[in-house]
Amino acid sequence: MKDFAEPLARLIDELKRLPGIGQKSAQRIAFHLQRASREDAERLARALIEVKDKIRLCSVCNNLTELDPCGFCSDPTRAADVLCVVESPYNVVAIEKTREYHGLYHVLHGALSPLQGIGPEQLKLKSLLERLKSGKIREIIVATNPNVEGEATAIYLSKLIKPLGIKVTRIAMGIPVGSELEFADEITMLKALEGRREI
Amino acid sequence: MPLRETEALVLRTYRLGEADKIVSLFTRRMGRLRAVASGASRPKSRYGSALEPMSYIRLWIFERENRDLLRINSAEIIESFFDMQKDYRQQVATQYVAEAAELFLPEREVNERAFRLILVVLRALKRTGEATRPLLYFNYWLLRLGGVLPDLESCGNCGRALGDEAGYYGEGSEQLLCANCRRAAPYQVRATTRGLERDFRGLSLDAWISAGPAAPECKELRRFLEEVVESHIGKKLVTRSLLAGDT
Ligand SMILES: [Zn+2]
Ligand SMILES: [Zn+2]
Repeated sequence: MKDFAEPLARLIDELKRLPGIGQKSAQRIAFHLQRASREDAERLARALIEVKDKIRLCSVCNNLTELDPCGFCSDPTRAADVLCVVESPYNVVAIEKTREYHGLYHVLHGALSPLQGIGPEQLKLKSLLERLKSGKIREIIVATNPNVEGEATAIYLSKLIKPLGIKVTRIAMGIPVGSELEFADEITMLKALEGRREI
Repeated sequence: MPLRETEALVLRTYRLGEADKIVSLFTRRMGRLRAVASGASRPKSRYGSALEPMSYIRLWIFERENRDLLRINSAEIIESFFDMQKDYRQQVATQYVAEAAELFLPEREVNERAFRLILVVLRALKRTGEATRPLLYFNYWLLRLGGVLPDLESCGNCGRALGDEAGYYGEGSEQLLCANCRRAAPYQVRATTRGLERDFRGLSLDAWISAGPAAPECKELRRFLEEVVESHIGKKLVTRSLLAGDT
């Protein structure tokens, strides 16, 4: 005999495919959903389907959106002469949390990663270059991740964009706020020094 | 739970759950293995930049019996290859080494010569900014240390010495074939190019590079050896397709 009735086993299997969910968590969630009201379950199912049906990529910046162009691209109060380039839609959320950035975005949907078979062709670069043709953009802020893949992507972008006469800047890398210098390794320390600024 | 110390090269990492990483390592004292680094994706991770691809690190690792996956306690950088990978072509070349090593080297087998080989190759990539010669040398010695280097001077089918003639190979080849046996094998390795083997067999990589053979000459042989590496792994290397058109 199987451990679980067939429909329950199927739900557990589906849940296990989600990131960060193992057998135990999948079981817990599945039992929780089984106990929940039919209404709750339907709401969850509807939300899942709606995400699939209604969310698409913004045709301008490639961010996830329901309306095209997205809320950022169609907001007239945002500065249209600065573009922040990020790897994923998650990163937009992280930058928005600061409430300090008021320009537009461009989502690459990845970073150069030979080991994952991701070269320049696999990134949303063509649409980025297309946007730059308008001549309105004054600065590109490259906010890719502070790791080998993100760095390689940043340098690649700057080689591509600088010749167009557009200023390219990179977010600072280095010591995380709240930690202490003595724990920083040589690369982190080096990056912090490289990214120093006058005060 | 014994804690072991070893030097290691970080081949690659995979995300695990929310902020952990699985790290594929080639260690000096324990061979190639995988281990978990908890919280490695967080900004204040105690691993800092030590687990970036191809870092040469000192590692403290928990070894548990009956457990496939080991746990990394801590790591510190001995030598970093972070900055050289800022250049996309260098990144591709470096990660080719990582991918081939990960798939070619057997798990949990200590191999000091392969360890030193990878280090030497990484340093040459970093110093010269060139891919072809370091990678040719890498492929050659990886195959040779693995005991699967084909004979470059005779036909793998009929055994005839190739002499001044070109040898031929196709996709999936593990040997060179003579003109009679080649059938549809489309690629050639000319005699002059094969002769390069004699030049670098007895030399260190640095000495050979300083001796200055032209890089384009080496490409032909490198491509063939890449094919042999792939054939032995039994899988296409993702990084190899990205290497096309490099220096
Ligand atoms: Zn948009
Ligand atoms: Zn033959």
